[in-house]
Amino acid sequence: MPPSGPETGRRSRKRASEEAIERTAAERTDALGARALRLAEYYHGKIETVPRVPVRSLADFSLWYTPGIAEVSRAIASDPDRSFDLTGRGNTIAIVTDGSRVLGLGNIGPRAALPVMEGKALLFKYLGGVDAIPLPISVESDAAFIETVERIAPAFGGINLEDIASPKCFRILEELQKRLPIPVWHDDQLGTAAATIAGFLNAIELTGRDVRSMRTVLLGAGAANIATARLLLALGHDPHRLTLVDHKGILDAERRDVDELMVRNRWKYRLALQTDGGDRRGGLVEAVEGADALLAASTPAPDTVRPEHIRAMASGPIIFALANPDPEIWPDIAKAAGAAVVATGRSDFPNQVNNSLIFPAVFRGILDARARSIPDEVVLAAAKELARHANDAGLTVDHILPTMEETEFSPHVAAAVAEEAVRLGIAGRPRTRAEFYRIAQEVMRRPPKLARELARSGVTRPMPDEKSPRRRKR
Amino acid sequence: MTTPKGKTEAERLNPTATGPSVPIHLRPARTSDIAQLVPLILRLKRLNEEFDPLLKVRPDAEERATEILRHDISDPEALVLAAEGAGTDKDKVVGVVRARVRERPFYSPEKEGVILDIYLLPLYRRRGVGEYLLQELSASLKAKGAGVLTAEFPVQNEIAIRFYTKQGFRPITTLHGRTM
Repeated sequence: MPPSGPETGRRSRKRASEEAIERTAAERTDALGARALRLAEYYHGKIETVPRVPVRSLADFSLWYTPGIAEVSRAIASDPDRSFDLTGRGNTIAIVTDGSRVLGLGNIGPRAALPVMEGKALLFKYLGGVDAIPLPISVESDAAFIETVERIAPAFGGINLEDIASPKCFRILEELQKRLPIPVWHDDQLGTAAATIAGFLNAIELTGRDVRSMRTVLLGAGAANIATARLLLALGHDPHRLTLVDHKGILDAERRDVDELMVRNRWKYRLALQTDGGDRRGGLVEAVEGADALLAASTPAPDTVRPEHIRAMASGPIIFALANPDPEIWPDIAKAAGAAVVATGRSDFPNQVNNSLIFPAVFRGILDARARSIPDEVVLAAAKELARHANDAGLTVDHILPTMEETEFSPHVAAAVAEEAVRLGIAGRPRTRAEFYRIAQEVMRRPPKLARELARSGVTRPMPDEKSPRRRKR
Repeated sequence: MTTPKGKTEAERLNPTATGPSVPIHLRPARTSDIAQLVPLILRLKRLNEEFDPLLKVRPDAEERATEILRHDISDPEALVLAAEGAGTDKDKVVGVVRARVRERPFYSPEKEGVILDIYLLPLYRRRGVGEYLLQELSASLKAKGAGVLTAEFPVQNEIAIRFYTKQGFRPITTLHGRTM
């Protein structure tokens, strides 16, 4: 794609237009926040327990509860694996957080994290047919976190870790993956990285690039970008053309804090050694010089990426500005500076890099295959399948990822995930890809239907601030 | 500059003999190396700072490191080795070892060789380089009369503990401290 936009020297005017864009987006965010708070007060939470079985009269409880249920317990006691079939365990996951890094809000604690975890649970159900229990926990140490999750694991078919500060999120994920016989996923690492990789694969195809020869800059070295870097290397990206930049500058093997990283963050240390700054030294300015792509997932700070950074890159660069809620650079400004493809983390711009494209389908596939873990191969299988669907639907600079409305991709991603788990020999319930697809499609179809039916019958109360029932949710 | 035994040391420190997979060239340090050695010593001290607040690096640590290196390079009871890199890092000092032979008035063996500082730039770590350093160091200190090899490092440094344990070291004495 050729770079577009005026190359003018009218700096003051450009500056004013940048501010206008920023103002509009900020106002939009504020309005949504105010409405979300009003709705939270009205609905008192977003999910509730709903029976899965018919209850015609209290007599039925002799089957759903004692005495009949004792037989079901006996069956599980003699074969614990049957807990996945004879209860909801096989379709139920826990969303566990300590609230130490919630959205861009920082360490707000487990209670304040609850609304976010509820929203996540709603997404898991609505998009993936996965029953997810929001579970913010109050823990003082990594060891306590790990032990708590270990102790609740018997009730769950999988664990989704959420909004945990870096670097402890790496340690906790690694340790739980080692200890638990069920899959453990940290969405802020893996979900974000997989969605990023999916968009990235299409962006490089669209701009005629090759992952093995391109130069990429990752801005921010937190949970998401450390996972993204690992996946890029797994895809064949040359480590010496991969530059990670954080608030201390380029992450190279001889940076002043590298020994501190060895002790405190060995995942970041490992990348410092592998990439050695992509053979570069300095800061963002030095990193972006001639680079093909900039994947920014940094702590939100306005103006982190400037138009001059983009102008210094190779012609028609790929820009992912994923900080939430405010991207490192607004898409219009990035495009004016020559970006060929721009993605953000927001739904109100094209190319939303959204974990919701990934995690419901990944868990659907993982649970359907009854996989024991989620290795990187599975994560990449999800990313590639997602990329393929945006590609099939017509690849353009404003469509490198499916939107949340294009839901057809989801059972395909689930089936790709399940198939990869079978291929890797970690599936407890192997099936063919076609069978996995059929199962996923059926299970995923149910929750939207449920929501529709409950709304139609008035069991779910309508939005209190909406007159017309035709207006979209969210 | 060179100790009476410097020549034999230089001969013995031939990396091609039992060289690690990452080629480094180990040799006795010279006064002209000091400018390159000091930053490595400071990196080590800043690493130690991670382990205990009582290991806070002093503002004048750089000058002190310069003095100590200058002294130790010409002290026959001390040993300072410089590790040079290979390829594009040829002529670049990528690691440093500082050790000293100490009397043990009450115990035998009568002399110990104490490893005081050992630092390698990250890209030269692992792959057997540390083990090689230790072998060469051990031989040099033995030649100076040491009958036991010891190492001083922060007790919280688990990476060092793992490394030395693997090399057959065990804790002998400990140093407990508190702020006064």
